[in-house]
Amino acid sequence: MIALVRGELAKLLATRLPVATLLTALGCGLGFTALLALAGPGNSTPPLPGIETPEGVSLVVGMGGLLLFVPALIGTIAVTGEYRHRSIGTTFLTVPRRGRALVAKLVVFGGLGFAYGAVAAVGTAVALVGSAALRGVALGVPAGALVAMLAQLALAAAVYAVLGVAIGALARQQLVAVGIVLGYFYFLEHVLLLIPGVNVIHPFLPGGATAALTDFTFLSDAIGAQLPISMPVAISPIGGALVLLGYAAIAAVVAVAVPLRRDVR
Amino acid sequence: MNSHAIEVTGLSKRFGEVEAVRAASFRAEPGRVTGFLGPNGAGKSTTLAMVLGLSRPDAGTARIGGAAYRDLDDPTGTVGAVLDSTGAHPSMTGRGHLRAYAELGGHARRRVDDVALTTGITEYLDRRIRGYSTGMRRRLALATALLGEPSVLVLDEPSNGLDPAGIVWLREFLRAFAGRGGTVLLSSHVLTELQHSIDDLVLIDRGRVAWSGPLDEFTGAASSLESAFLAHTMEVHP
Ligand SMILES: Nc1ncnc2c1ncn2[C@@H]1O[C@H](COP(=O)(O)OP(=O)(O)OP(=O)(O)O)[C@@H](O)[C@H]1O
Ligand SMILES: [Mg+2]
Repeated sequence: MIALVRGELAKLLATRLPVATLLTALGCGLGFTALLALAGPGNSTPPLPGIETPEGVSLVVGMGGLLLFVPALIGTIAVTGEYRHRSIGTTFLTVPRRGRALVAKLVVFGGLGFAYGAVAAVGTAVALVGSAALRGVALGVPAGALVAMLAQLALAAAVYAVLGVAIGALARQQLVAVGIVLGYFYFLEHVLLLIPGVNVIHPFLPGGATAALTDFTFLSDAIGAQLPISMPVAISPIGGALVLLGYAAIAAVVAVAVPLRRDVR
Repeated sequence: MNSHAIEVTGLSKRFGEVEAVRAASFRAEPGRVTGFLGPNGAGKSTTLAMVLGLSRPDAGTARIGGAAYRDLDDPTGTVGAVLDSTGAHPSMTGRGHLRAYAELGGHARRRVDDVALTTGITEYLDRRIRGYSTGMRRRLALATALLGEPSVLVLDEPSNGLDPAGIVWLREFLRAFAGRGGTVLLSSHVLTELQHSIDDLVLIDRGRVAWSGPLDEFTGAASSLESAFLAHTMEVHP
């Protein structure tokens, strides 16, 4: 199994995906956060809390959580790329026990997702601290709490990458799979939040669970304040973590089991 | 070289209405090059995919050295295969690709340079596969198949895209491989291509094995391989 993980890692490292991933992570973490922290608060309607308050920090970090579809997308593109470029035959000939090949892939892409999350987290921390210094304010949360928040986000990134691999292994067609990932995380989940009655399940969806993880209630609060819709009660950060891990487990089982019997040509 | 025969018994596969392979049975022996000949759509690729466990037969079995492909202890150390589905990721270099699959198959890293030299791709090993020509890709696929020093080769239309020098080289290579005791099963839809490179022939037509045996017995009665081919495919389906 270790040899297979090393093999999958060698495959990943032979492409440009890891570099692209980490650059994206840095861009998302550093750039996006700096933008939010420096320009966003105060200038928007309604005014957002500044980063000198706990709510403000949580808001900025939680917005980072909205970018978690990126590691999901990376996992999806990697798996469907094997079908698209027909290297999947080479892979399954080398490892005819397909389940083992996919477990190795999940480990490697879970790791890449975590690396994405970690780089994005460091970028976010740097941007937050830098923005606070520039604006001459103290950050709204102690360093320890910030690190914990960001570490959770990095773990969530690993979970999202695993979800992405599973979606890719299921759909196989690259465009279809990418469409599913974007359509779901970008659109469907947010739409569900707007439907009264249905939105009670939102905290138990990946996006809602991630929001719980970082205590990020901005989206639902904002919607609740603007529209006459009752918002679902958020679950605790630990509950959010458990829900996310549950999704990762289901995704892993699906990704390993589904391709077992399918024909490759 | 260990010797492993390929034994196909009653393999069948249907895609909806199409009976792609119908109860196909044949053998490919160690020390011999076996040609798998049939017109377009005869079921060659489908059969080979089932032999290699990439596709699931509706009935029948395929064994290599007595075991199904997926049950082999060292699959790529036993069988090397080039099929339509053995592609490579375009953003990798040839070297990156070979290294990754050597690692995945548990083969020594020095094999990368060995197989590149054997297949004549050393020169462009550090270029991205995106820029490879069709013939270069075929050679890379063959190099990948050779990473594990297999004793069985299964090749689906291996000379597609090769230049004349490449075709001659491949023929010599396969003859030498069988000469060392290896088993070679290669498909083609071009009669003349096989004439000088094979010992045994398996003829497949519309999913059925129409004839199999040593090549000289096949051509014996007819004036040429071509007329023998036509005679046999007509015999089965008048
Ligand atoms: N996945 C599939 N779905 C539907 N039909 C298929 C599928 N794969 C193969 N077929 C059909 O099965 C038959 C055999 O196809 P196969 O590719 O095995 O032929 P072949 O002998 O390799 O032909 P060629 O010389 O053109 O490569 C054809 O009629 C083909 O259309
Ligand atoms: Mg074919």
